[in-house]
Amino acid sequence: MKKIIPLLSVVLLLISCSNTDDEMIAIDNPEIALNIPTGFPEPNEFVRFNKPTKYGVELGEKLFSDKRFSADNTISCSSCHIQENAFTDGKAQGIGIEGRIGLRNTPSIQNLMFMKFYNWDGSKLQLENQPLVPIITHEEMDSSILDVIGKIQNDASYADLFKKAFGDAAITPERIYKSIAQFEYSLVSANSKYDKVKRKEGESFTAGEAKGFEIFQQKCASCHSTELFTDQSFRNIGFPLNTNSNEAGRARVTGITADYMSFRVPTLRNIEYTAPYGSFGQFPTLKAVLDYFDNGVLEAENLDPIFKNNGSSIPLTEEEKNNLIAFMKTLSDTAFVKQ
Amino acid sequence: MQNFKKYFIAATAAFAFVSCSNDDQNAVSNNLTLEFNNTFKNTTIVLGDAASASATANTSAAGQVHHFSELKYVISNIRLVKEDGSEVPYNVNDLDKGAAVIDQSKTASLSYVLTNVPSASYKLIKFGLGIKPEQNTLDQVRFPKFYAAAGANDTQMMWEWGSGYRFTKVEGFYDTDNKAMSIHTGSTVEGTAGAYTQGVNAYRDITLNLTTNAVVGSSAPKIKIKADFDKMLSGKINTITLSTGTGMNDNATPNVHTAAQMVKFVDNLGGNGTNDISGMFSVTAVEN
Repeated sequence: MKKIIPLLSVVLLLISCSNTDDEMIAIDNPEIALNIPTGFPEPNEFVRFNKPTKYGVELGEKLFSDKRFSADNTISCSSCHIQENAFTDGKAQGIGIEGRIGLRNTPSIQNLMFMKFYNWDGSKLQLENQPLVPIITHEEMDSSILDVIGKIQNDASYADLFKKAFGDAAITPERIYKSIAQFEYSLVSANSKYDKVKRKEGESFTAGEAKGFEIFQQKCASCHSTELFTDQSFRNIGFPLNTNSNEAGRARVTGITADYMSFRVPTLRNIEYTAPYGSFGQFPTLKAVLDYFDNGVLEAENLDPIFKNNGSSIPLTEEEKNNLIAFMKTLSDTAFVKQ
Repeated sequence: MQNFKKYFIAATAAFAFVSCSNDDQNAVSNNLTLEFNNTFKNTTIVLGDAASASATANTSAAGQVHHFSELKYVISNIRLVKEDGSEVPYNVNDLDKGAAVIDQSKTASLSYVLTNVPSASYKLIKFGLGIKPEQNTLDQVRFPKFYAAAGANDTQMMWEWGSGYRFTKVEGFYDTDNKAMSIHTGSTVEGTAGAYTQGVNAYRDITLNLTTNAVVGSSAPKIKIKADFDKMLSGKINTITLSTGTGMNDNATPNVHTAAQMVKFVDNLGGNGTNDISGMFSVTAVEN
């Protein structure tokens, strides 16, 4: 027994030595503090399994703008999700490699950490499950995750970042999905004029903005509610229909007839920057959207009760429309879009 | 003593016999082939484009004539059931080794050979039309072969937006003016057990009695399975009329590319899992 102990100690020493070696090159990769803005909802329950770290976010940002994600190396995530436009592209429908036109309008990327559903139809509940979709979709990047890894695995700058973010240089699909999600979680927009007025940081609404806020609360806030300016419900509000057979709105996922052509209520944050509007960019301007509500929307069996019970329209005077638009522009976060 | 000798000889002979038959079966596993015959009723389907004169035409219960230009489906989760009721799973957790795309345009795909099937007498076969939710994730790392086969340009058995495989893909034409029809099925299930989940599970478990037992051992049997696509529109569960209305009840039924209106096709093809566990499938013969 006496002999065994020294022997064990030596073995343990050896083991701890090799551990120490690892730790010597282990990198300090602190979690980023999740600053939840006042009044925002709790983060999506999956965020706690993939908390953003300093290098995870940095890696995700680099991957986000890497064109090698597409089959012909022409399109990155940031080709359609352009920061200056609150991560949208200004086009009616997303455009992928070889000019292929996607099914829907590119959604903005902001405050995703707080969302329970992703995409127009809520097809994803967990952000880490989303990046694969554009990578493999024919009308987007038309590639595969192993093709992407094959292209970037000999890139020394990635080896360094994967090591910093995840402890070793291995590039795996899960690490790619996680780091992109971490980058997206870090994109929080809560510094608009509206926020500063609300937080009493010395700014105040103009008369028109204040009137617009009033109308907003009367006629819009039942759907565009909470500090996210969406209640995250799915509704058919009688917008012009996308006749592509791949489109069924929320029913595409649920198969439920009553969800047919229902779409997630979009956030109004940074709405000034995300034209055109609607699930496939039906409206070029905010004024066009408001005119449409005023003139009356399409009838449908499952038209949202708010429209069904109010003559299928939201009556608005021209002055009200102008004030509403003035208010919506107070939701622009100039620092967020770097304009 | 004489008696003892007799018994001894008899016993030895019996042992020899047992070991003989053991030799044949015990050490041996063998192949078992599933041969799929895709039909309209009893006629094997010939594919063809809109104006094709050779394509097999079928008329639905609702009176709509139709024919197909493309016909594919995925089978997985194959299990064989022995005479005593015990189940022998065949690579059920490995899509690369245990799942296949059956493609009417590729003759080789119509015969799916199961290898190293343990020697036994089997009375029943079970398999899935489609892929169970837990495996339906387009995991290229885990199942590279099946991913490549399903994603090939001439196969296109993926629902990219749903991060899952297509389970059936039928392209064709209907009515006398040959309007295009396009029926795709697949699962849209999302979420984790215990938490919020959403979507439609389009996987269907099929159970088929064999006409006679398939005896795997010295021989490699063949099970002939008929997939009667007449059932797609004229099924045990639903009688479907294709119509191009835009209302939410008749939404795009000739063009099913989403979960909307999909389940009635799924149930006709693969049963509803309760009172219909065979859908369009039946076993027509077993060749031992």
